[in-house]
Amino acid sequence: MSRPAQVSFTRLEEIAGGAHVVTDAAEIAAREVCGVRPAAIVKPADPAQIAEILRFAAAEKLAVIPMGSGTKLGIGAPPTRYDIALDLSRMNRVLAYDPQDLTLGVEAGVRIKDLLRTLEEQRQFLPLTVPFSDRATIGGIVAANSSSPLRHAYGSVRDFCLGMEFVTGEGAQAKSGGRVVKNVTGYDLHKLLIGSLGTLAVITRVNFRTFPMPPAQGMFVASFSSAESAFEFCRAISHSVLTPQMVEVADPGAGRLIFSAETTARITPMQWSVVISAAGQPAVVDRYERELGHLAGAANAAEFLPISDSEQSSVFVRIREFPRLVLEGAPDAAIFRIGVLPTAMPSLLKDLSEVAKRCRLQLATLTRASGIMYAALFAQAGNESPFAATASAVKEIFHLCTLPENGAQAMLEWCPTEINTSADVAWGPPRPDFELMQRVKHSFDPQNVLAPGRFAGGI
Amino acid sequence: MQPQLIRELEALLGPKAVLSAPEDLMLYEYDGSVELGSPRCIVFPTSARDVSGIVHLANRYETPIVGRGAGTGLSGGAIARNGGIVIAFSRMNRILEIDAANLRAVVQPGVVNLDLSRAVEHLGLYFAPDPSSQKSCTIGGNVSENSGGPHTLAYGVTANHVTGLELVLPDGEIVRIGGKSVETSGYDLCGLLVGSEGTLALVTEITVRLMRKPEAVKTLLAVYDTLDDTTESVVEITVRAITPAACEMLDGFTLRAVEDYVHAGFPKDCAAVLLIEVEGLAEAVQAQAAEITEVCRQHRAREVRAARNDQERNLLWRGRKEAFGAMGRISPMYYVQDGVIPRTRLPETLRRIEEISRKYDLQIGNIFHAGDGNLHPLILFDERNRAQFARVVAAGGEIMRHCVEVGGALTGEHGIGMEKNELMPLIFTPDDLALMERIRAAFNPNGRLNPGKVLPMGKACGEIRVTPTPASVTIPT
Repeated sequence: MSRPAQVSFTRLEEIAGGAHVVTDAAEIAAREVCGVRPAAIVKPADPAQIAEILRFAAAEKLAVIPMGSGTKLGIGAPPTRYDIALDLSRMNRVLAYDPQDLTLGVEAGVRIKDLLRTLEEQRQFLPLTVPFSDRATIGGIVAANSSSPLRHAYGSVRDFCLGMEFVTGEGAQAKSGGRVVKNVTGYDLHKLLIGSLGTLAVITRVNFRTFPMPPAQGMFVASFSSAESAFEFCRAISHSVLTPQMVEVADPGAGRLIFSAETTARITPMQWSVVISAAGQPAVVDRYERELGHLAGAANAAEFLPISDSEQSSVFVRIREFPRLVLEGAPDAAIFRIGVLPTAMPSLLKDLSEVAKRCRLQLATLTRASGIMYAALFAQAGNESPFAATASAVKEIFHLCTLPENGAQAMLEWCPTEINTSADVAWGPPRPDFELMQRVKHSFDPQNVLAPGRFAGGI
Repeated sequence: MQPQLIRELEALLGPKAVLSAPEDLMLYEYDGSVELGSPRCIVFPTSARDVSGIVHLANRYETPIVGRGAGTGLSGGAIARNGGIVIAFSRMNRILEIDAANLRAVVQPGVVNLDLSRAVEHLGLYFAPDPSSQKSCTIGGNVSENSGGPHTLAYGVTANHVTGLELVLPDGEIVRIGGKSVETSGYDLCGLLVGSEGTLALVTEITVRLMRKPEAVKTLLAVYDTLDDTTESVVEITVRAITPAACEMLDGFTLRAVEDYVHAGFPKDCAAVLLIEVEGLAEAVQAQAAEITEVCRQHRAREVRAARNDQERNLLWRGRKEAFGAMGRISPMYYVQDGVIPRTRLPETLRRIEEISRKYDLQIGNIFHAGDGNLHPLILFDERNRAQFARVVAAGGEIMRHCVEVGGALTGEHGIGMEKNELMPLIFTPDDLALMERIRAAFNPNGRLNPGKVLPMGKACGEIRVTPTPASVTIPT
């Protein structure tokens, strides 16, 4: 870890103002990334300051990691260099909101919680209900491509992000896309920034389309004695005319985290459960209840129940916060987010549980039926070398996912610092498009100023 | 062109897969736009390996390469602006896999858009992007241009429906990006490639999402006596957050031309119609149709009627989708634009287009995707009338500038191509364009792949015209 010379602080203070360059030890510790600490934290006020900071960093060969509230710094490999934490918390304004056009432009440091409240006043929302929603910022959510249970109906960030403004590693302020809901003007560079973990550019503004709140909602849970029947039920939903907002499959371990005592008193908690939400006119929600009940019965559900209005939001929050709930109980857990096709889910689950058993780890999985599986591995009581076990399980799971029959794409959404020693650990084996990704990185950040070493393949 | 190159291409692909006679080349000089360019030969590969071989040869002979699907593009994307080899994908037209359980299909780029939907119809599935040219345009072309269509209002454009691609890079390497899975770790290269207008790589295989057909569909026709009432209805539908699957507008001039040709049932004495479709569960469709009808009536629609059966519905859509063709009956040529505006600015924008039409003494028809603010003003002209032609160019520029001024975009679905590349500085700064230039160079370092498209040409000489003159829109004489 290099330490900038005193003159550097002076320059940073000139750019951002003395009050916005922080070297306090506790603050520095809070911005540690995979065990590596920066020398200073800078809190810029606008894109022009970011551009100056990045130009300065490039000239001084300093490395910069952009961040919001820091809730997702456990994703990715340890940085090979890390001098400045670029904290975007001051850039927290809604820049343009046209509720009548259902479009929105916000600074990267806006917290999703605050933004959703603003949208709610107009009976609108963004389908970005993601983990750590109490603190997560738009910039962080986009840069990590966080997953929302609502992706089933609304897709992910790339599907409703209209454009972005950003500052490249060279300190150039640039943009792509726009503010209108349909646009093919120029290259969609902003799509590259989604999930890039701050390795290409510092996102300063994101434009979205917003969505109207549905007039009515319902939430239902069906429980099953086996994973096979639970996924059979999901398949039946996907083959029906129903288009739910969310379909989530919780294994027994995830079920214990998601359901409150009230719900677990009514369903058998050790079983597999499928939670579905539906939205629309009341008549539409009623129809979901009827037809989902039929489909659940046909798939041999043990129970099918509506979740009471009072409980819906707490179940939804717990599904949303699944990775966080795992970490609260098991801070050393490794959590995978795996893109997997519906037909491959049951066999992948079986493989995962075998790996867990072999490594004497516990496994909890929460699966979005449209193709995302969260798999959390954590130590069993009595496992004396949990980190060694987790490290070997992580390696095996990356390998499993590359097998053609699984056709899955794994990424570690959380990796304990103790085992996160390199990009190979955090990202698994090299990918066929690695060389193209390197070319993209070089175009945005030729001097490797931004989050060096954090990304796949050590980019 | 070196005859040696033709001979080598023939040796690689077989003599029947290479065209180089002048009469054959003429068919490939144009696309659906008003642009022209003459290739030196056309080749018809049948595999990614063929494409890679062609690219290697082109590099050895330092010859430009342009990919081409059905040639229905509206911005000159498939035109060989600097000559060279046109790679026509019409023989790579196989559907390689239909994975109904996972709602995916894997296709070659030459598969016709509608053919894919037809191939999965028996499974209750379809491919959502539906450009008006869907009976002939190819999915490879859709990927290049990130094509839209009426139903993209609800279901998104091509980029929202592509999960994986096989590419041949300009150095001949074959690479796969993305896959069938909805999410991949790493940079979203598919997101960049879709809509890159054939300037970054040649696409040789495409993995797409399929969608399940809705249970119920209702198609409404709302008839108006003034343009303002029509556009205000669209604004109100958006504001009330009703989300129809499609919301199309045809103005009186256009619908009269269409009606004479298609007999879709549009009243010929009205100022404009809205064609609105709602889809989903029967209960939802009922409720939405009722609400839309109420909005249209409140805005003085003189009639709102629903198609009573599939035949009526298909006829209404034929009226919409064949409108460009109908224009050909009343004007020797038309210049179609593709600007996008925030939907709330629709009424003033249509009034502005009317003013521009009067100012330049030109007939402008309006037929467009009103629900997402994607305009298609059709400026009619006779290419033999040079003075009129200059006015067409000026009027087009003025409409485009208006779209930019109200916070819109140059193109919603037709692409930049060689038609609007000099207008890019209206939207993008030199820094924005420099980064796009660098991304292009990262994939296409010697600029041999589809040269002269998307980015301003001036940039290569180190110069950007910040306020391009309308004369930079080139239209053949």
